[in-house]
Amino acid sequence: MDWTKQLGRYIIIMLLQVLLFDQLQLWGACHPYIYILCLLMMPITLPHSMDMLLGAAAGIVMDVFCNSLGVHTAACILLMFIRPYLIGFIVNDKDRLNEQISLRAIGMEALVKYVVILVLIHHLIVFSLAAWSWTHMSFVLLETFVSGIITIAIIIGYNILAHK
Amino acid sequence: MQNLLKILLRYSNFLVFIALEVAAFLLIYANNAAPRSGMFSTANSIVAWQNGVVSGICGYFSLAAQNEQLAQENADLRNQLAASDSVLHKQAVSYTAAKVVQMTTDQFHNYLTIDKGAEDGVVRGQGVRNGDGVVGIIRTVGRKYSVVLPVINTHTNLSCRFAKNDYIGTLQWDGKDSRFAQLADVAAHMVVNPGDTIITSGLSPVFPEGIPVGIVENSMLKQGDSYHTISIRLFTNFKRLKYVEVVQNAHQKQLEELMHGLD
Repeated sequence: MDWTKQLGRYIIIMLLQVLLFDQLQLWGACHPYIYILCLLMMPITLPHSMDMLLGAAAGIVMDVFCNSLGVHTAACILLMFIRPYLIGFIVNDKDRLNEQISLRAIGMEALVKYVVILVLIHHLIVFSLAAWSWTHMSFVLLETFVSGIITIAIIIGYNILAHK
Repeated sequence: MQNLLKILLRYSNFLVFIALEVAAFLLIYANNAAPRSGMFSTANSIVAWQNGVVSGICGYFSLAAQNEQLAQENADLRNQLAASDSVLHKQAVSYTAAKVVQMTTDQFHNYLTIDKGAEDGVVRGQGVRNGDGVVGIIRTVGRKYSVVLPVINTHTNLSCRFAKNDYIGTLQWDGKDSRFAQLADVAAHMVVNPGDTIITSGLSPVFPEGIPVGIVENSMLKQGDSYHTISIRLFTNFKRLKYVEVVQNAHQKQLEELMHGLD
């Protein structure tokens, strides 16, 4: 997948995020941030620092839509920092890695581990920074759990559909 | 020197990571303290336009309820017109009608975006109300759009008083339910009854005195407490908020300058 396709996917996912998922205000604890799909599924071919800069850019764009300047930025930078270490840790068979992250490249088990860990970290950071106080911690955990499950389901579902 | 360079190169990714995170946290801090630019918020014209399209589409599904609300508002305004006595007092304040293009009600830091900005004379710090009561305070001003900090945001502090006896309290929000806010700083000796009406105090130039806020839902006073714990049912229904008015006080700038002069 070349970078034009990556950008196209990012724009479509971002539209879905702000036009559909940001409008869901169902149970108060449900704010899935599906835009990180693009960051998670980016091939790991770029220099690590470039990866983090792209993460920061995607975070700032999301922050503008949420009036939360810095919150998504911080979470996405961390996400992109952890990503290569995590994938190296999860995927034992380095030959299968092939610098692509997809269902076909790394298999279901590794993909689920990878997505679950990174989505939960990202959501936990975003909701904690947005709450900015320990008194709301139980609600932040609930929010992370509910929104995280939806985001995880969508990212895994996307991978299954994309490789049918 | 060479060793130092080697170490720097070896950990360059980590250093980039730390630098970026520090920048992000500075952004969070600056944004929480005082957002100056409308560009990096929903007051940004492109973002607000997109939100306007969404709320335009969603607006069709609540036309009946909107009509009813507008009719009710008209009636209230006529009543006010008939009852308006202190003409001199009201001349200083004018209202600019605005449409809500984006709003959240289920987060700790809720915001709403309205379709009036600097071009319409909106200034940071002005009050926002609707026909029912207080909505919030202008936080970030863009060219054509502004972001409002509503009372249902955990950052908000609004000076209010009891309609019955001028007793002052501070309206805050605990982040739980958009229908209820809390009134702090009401001393224990004060008698609080469910059903008491709370209005703006007029102590800050943001709102003129007497704009309705809500009624006391319940109040609690534990043994040994020096302040009441009061829950206020807000008059404004944030879940259905579509139209608001920006309160423009001609004397606001002068009042604020006077207050700063005192510090």
